[in-house]
Amino acid sequence: MHGFEDHWQGVAALVLMGAGVWWMMPRRVEWPKIIGLILALVGAFLLASRIRAAEGPIGETILFSVFATAAITCAILMITSRNPVYSALWFALVTLSVCGLFWLQYAQFLAAATVIVYAGAIVVTFVFVIMLAQQSGATIYDQRSRQPLLATVAAFLLLGALLGTLRSSTSDDFHVAAQQSQAVSANLMSRPAESSRIDANTVNGLGRSLFGDYLFAVELAGTILLIATIGAIAIAPRRSRGTL
Amino acid sequence: MTGDIERYLAVGAALFVLGAIGFFTRRNLIVMVLSAELMLHGVSLTLVTFGRVHNSFEGQAFTIFILTVAACEAGLGLSLVLALFQKSKTLDIDFWTELREPDLPSPRVREEAEHRTPFELPQPAYPKLTPAGRVPDLEHERDPRLVDSARSQTAETPLQPPVVKEVIKSVSH
Repeated sequence: MHGFEDHWQGVAALVLMGAGVWWMMPRRVEWPKIIGLILALVGAFLLASRIRAAEGPIGETILFSVFATAAITCAILMITSRNPVYSALWFALVTLSVCGLFWLQYAQFLAAATVIVYAGAIVVTFVFVIMLAQQSGATIYDQRSRQPLLATVAAFLLLGALLGTLRSSTSDDFHVAAQQSQAVSANLMSRPAESSRIDANTVNGLGRSLFGDYLFAVELAGTILLIATIGAIAIAPRRSRGTL
Repeated sequence: MTGDIERYLAVGAALFVLGAIGFFTRRNLIVMVLSAELMLHGVSLTLVTFGRVHNSFEGQAFTIFILTVAACEAGLGLSLVLALFQKSKTLDIDFWTELREPDLPSPRVREEAEHRTPFELPQPAYPKLTPAGRVPDLEHERDPRLVDSARSQTAETPLQPPVVKEVIKSVSH
């Protein structure tokens, strides 16, 4: 196995990124956020440089870099912004970036559905709830964070473990999985032989998979949506019951 | 192909970890729910990537179910947040630490004497605009259709409070 000498760069990059995130946490005396953001992004780029370089076309690599940088930057800004409205808006940008990453992986329908559901519905619901439940002016619980150092250290230990596992994986791990991809489908409707190539006919194959293999699960998901709607209406405060 | 797979997994892991940090550290109920959604994004990205590794659509199908559950979770969670806000008039998660087990110590971090009521942040200095153009004569050019019936009974009261009128006059002179 490798010694610590092989890993100190990764550890340093993790520490740099974690220090940046910790720097930007809400605290009593506000520190300039741009320093923390630069620290975190430098750490993220150092971490990214340790991942094995892709052998794909250059255009896809550029697009991936743009979307990944946007996703991570907006995520850091989301969890550290002191105004919940800004958090919701940064989350919308994270959603759009993740949809770009979906698109790069030939998941066009998923990208469109995620934009519609997340950016179109969920973020709007969040903004409405902030409007209904936000007190005017700043509140103390948005200006302080709970245990920022412990949380950052624990979370970046997890990230280091994940990335270390990823780094120690050889290329055979993924190729073997790709070789075994002739999965036997439970339902003849899904016809895996025709739709085994994932980069062609994605919507067709996804529809066959959803309404072939996962037909009952789709029905169940619809039922869950209905139950959640009824539950939300029942829980939400209203004027006639005196809870508003 | 392999580096292609690994970088997507790395971004998914980073998004998950950042969402976890937000969930641990933030004290606003709404931001905590948002951070949970961020963790779901990381998991969705990982699922789609592994689906591509295995050359099957199961990852994308699972992600669609994640989408469904996330929508349900957002609706239910936000209605719960609204109900809690109506009871306590605060979104602070520390307010609800009374729901813990009775023999556990309070997880609340004692800081300085915290003020419960909201306070004003220092506002940024907005630029002062020089007044330009004619000052609209709001009293005489009022459109009668804009005045509702209740107000038209006391039609002599102007639409705007007198303070605004004085400000407009002082600007125009």
